[in-house]
Amino acid sequence: MIKRVEVNYRGIFQKNLGKFIGGDIVQIASRMGKVAFSNGRYSDSPERNGIPCKYFAFVSPDLSEEELEAECGAKLDIDEADVSVVVDDTMVKGVEPWGWHGVRAINEKVREKGCLLVVSRHGHDQLLKFVPKKPFSYRLALVEGDASFAGLWVNKDDLTRERVLGAIAAVDPGIISIEAVEAYLLERTKERHRAEAARAAYDATLRSTRIIKAGEGADWAHEIPRLPTWKEFEDLGVAVPAVPRGFKMGPRGQARNDAFKRGTTKSHRPVVRFDLCIKCTLCWYDCPDECFDPTDDGLYDVNYEVCVGCHKCAEVCPVPECIVMVDELKFDNNDSPWEHHKRDPQGYITWAEDKKGTERIHYPHVTGTGMEIRQGKFVPPKQEKGGAAAEAKA
Amino acid sequence: MASQLPVIDYEKIKKIHDTPLEEFYTSGHRTCQGCESAMVMRDFAKASGPRTVVTGATGCMYVANTSYLTTPWIVPWMHTQLGAGGSSAVGMAAGLRALMRKGKIPQEKINVINFSGDLGAGDMGIGGISGALQTDYDLLIIMYDNESAANTDIQATGSTTYGAQTTFTPPGSKHRIMHRRWKKNVAAMLAVGHPTCRYVATASATFPALDFMNKTRKALSIGGPTFIHTFDPCPKGWDFHPRYSHELGELGVKSGIFPLYEIIDGQVIYTYDARQKGRIPVREYLEKQGRFAHLIDEDVDYIQHMVDTMWNEWEIPGVAPFRAGLSVAG
Repeated sequence: MIKRVEVNYRGIFQKNLGKFIGGDIVQIASRMGKVAFSNGRYSDSPERNGIPCKYFAFVSPDLSEEELEAECGAKLDIDEADVSVVVDDTMVKGVEPWGWHGVRAINEKVREKGCLLVVSRHGHDQLLKFVPKKPFSYRLALVEGDASFAGLWVNKDDLTRERVLGAIAAVDPGIISIEAVEAYLLERTKERHRAEAARAAYDATLRSTRIIKAGEGADWAHEIPRLPTWKEFEDLGVAVPAVPRGFKMGPRGQARNDAFKRGTTKSHRPVVRFDLCIKCTLCWYDCPDECFDPTDDGLYDVNYEVCVGCHKCAEVCPVPECIVMVDELKFDNNDSPWEHHKRDPQGYITWAEDKKGTERIHYPHVTGTGMEIRQGKFVPPKQEKGGAAAEAKA
Repeated sequence: MASQLPVIDYEKIKKIHDTPLEEFYTSGHRTCQGCESAMVMRDFAKASGPRTVVTGATGCMYVANTSYLTTPWIVPWMHTQLGAGGSSAVGMAAGLRALMRKGKIPQEKINVINFSGDLGAGDMGIGGISGALQTDYDLLIIMYDNESAANTDIQATGSTTYGAQTTFTPPGSKHRIMHRRWKKNVAAMLAVGHPTCRYVATASATFPALDFMNKTRKALSIGGPTFIHTFDPCPKGWDFHPRYSHELGELGVKSGIFPLYEIIDGQVIYTYDARQKGRIPVREYLEKQGRFAHLIDEDVDYIQHMVDTMWNEWEIPGVAPFRAGLSVAG
């Protein structure tokens, strides 16, 4: 018997977190007398910031090391997972790490009676708006917390690692037991609060686990692209068709690579208050992913399908509150915000302010160090200011 | 020298609102969030326009931009080997010239642009690029310098800043500084040694605004073999939040650690004169990057000292570290 765990994480930001969780599972299972090993998915390498990636851990009580490795090693992906861990909840909208891979469901690999374990501050119902339905029942468990983002060489030590281990023990004791997790953490770190964090997450996860019935969840809109066959490869040779040239003003006016949109890379998206815009062009000028579309009225529409949420536009925008990054899970479509603004300028302002809420996150420069500063109340900007709103009034 | 073909009449982009709107390097690439090298690709493609063919040496901007049979390039693009940036550009330019001579394609100016990373251009491919800069073909070679072999998870190269953490140079408890090489001055080295090359420049993709696009246009207008070295903050390898990649480029230029200049027919023109505008302390640039998190005051002072020396004592700051005057041996 083999138990399979996959950790879905954000490339680079959570690379060490994913690797540590995989490694810890191996260490703990080994202490319990089982055979285990852990590996990453080569197809995601080299990783890029924010790209959805996977780390795996395999545990078996009865197979030998060679047999387990023959069964699970050197594989691009697994067929089914007993536990799918998601350490950034915005990945429940789907993951697309490569061209021709397509946007894949986050619970694609979860087997019957398996578990999808999500680190999130959102509730089950909110997540199920995005997690697609399965033909069988499985479990959805939550570990309360924010996505723990660090960098290539650093791990953000906010106990997410320990808490996820505790939660895995709760959802499937056949992989690791909570006693073994506690003993391992205590012995390795000599720090009691780490073991306590794992135990607290274990208890909380037992309470938060919910059975998702067959057919419960969202409809899935993304098709998996058909991969070219060997014969077709031969015809293509090594030539890849270029993106056809095309540009016109307005939403979706720029020709783009349709086979790979990678909007699933983002955990935040920019919300633009077009009425405050001073038409300085900087968001468009500084966007490395070419996701802004110039419009006839001098504004810049955002194509959320291809936006990867790098925050750069929000950073370079000189107008306070004009571009604000908002949690991706607050949105359920990629419609053009500019069209919304054109259709109903006042309604758009209300909608945008509602999405923005009152909380702002300020990230430290160096990833994984320092605290992210959450600012509470702020005063929404006055609507009289700014070009488009003034024009609309005139 | 250079070709006798009609040149594409490029105008200098004076205002940011005059930037061409159409993209020739478009969405759907696999670069990191906040990638400044992607900005370099986008901007040179935009500045050079549709009559351009591009070759790219192996590196981040090759791998990230050809994700399994998909590409963000609208202009024709060809992959070449890691050290073959210069020779691929020569081959392409020579091929176009031969096809035109034989009448197989119309006589027209087609830009040939190669991009290579700092490992591809500055270390491994420098021989090929040196060779390319001695030819009489119209070609532009762009070295996008993110100061590491970023595609394979950040290994040190000749262009990595002194003291930086890389996968090759992790700081330890015994040896804090593992990267002890000073950054290689590739643009100046190529400018000094290649009289055929009439235009060499350094640039940062987004600061000052339009600077890099106009340098690309100038290089293509002047013709012959030309070279631009760009300075690209890399959120992954320099370890900072992607939101600050524009700011890091700006700080690098303003602190004077990366001088911006162009050399046209032997004349050095500083496009951002850090001496007149006042250099900010390099600390402001260093402290915002995780790769320098292990540096102590002493190291920062040393880097500041090296930058000060470059600006105050070099015969041509940023370009040539020689002292003036000839002295005869013996």
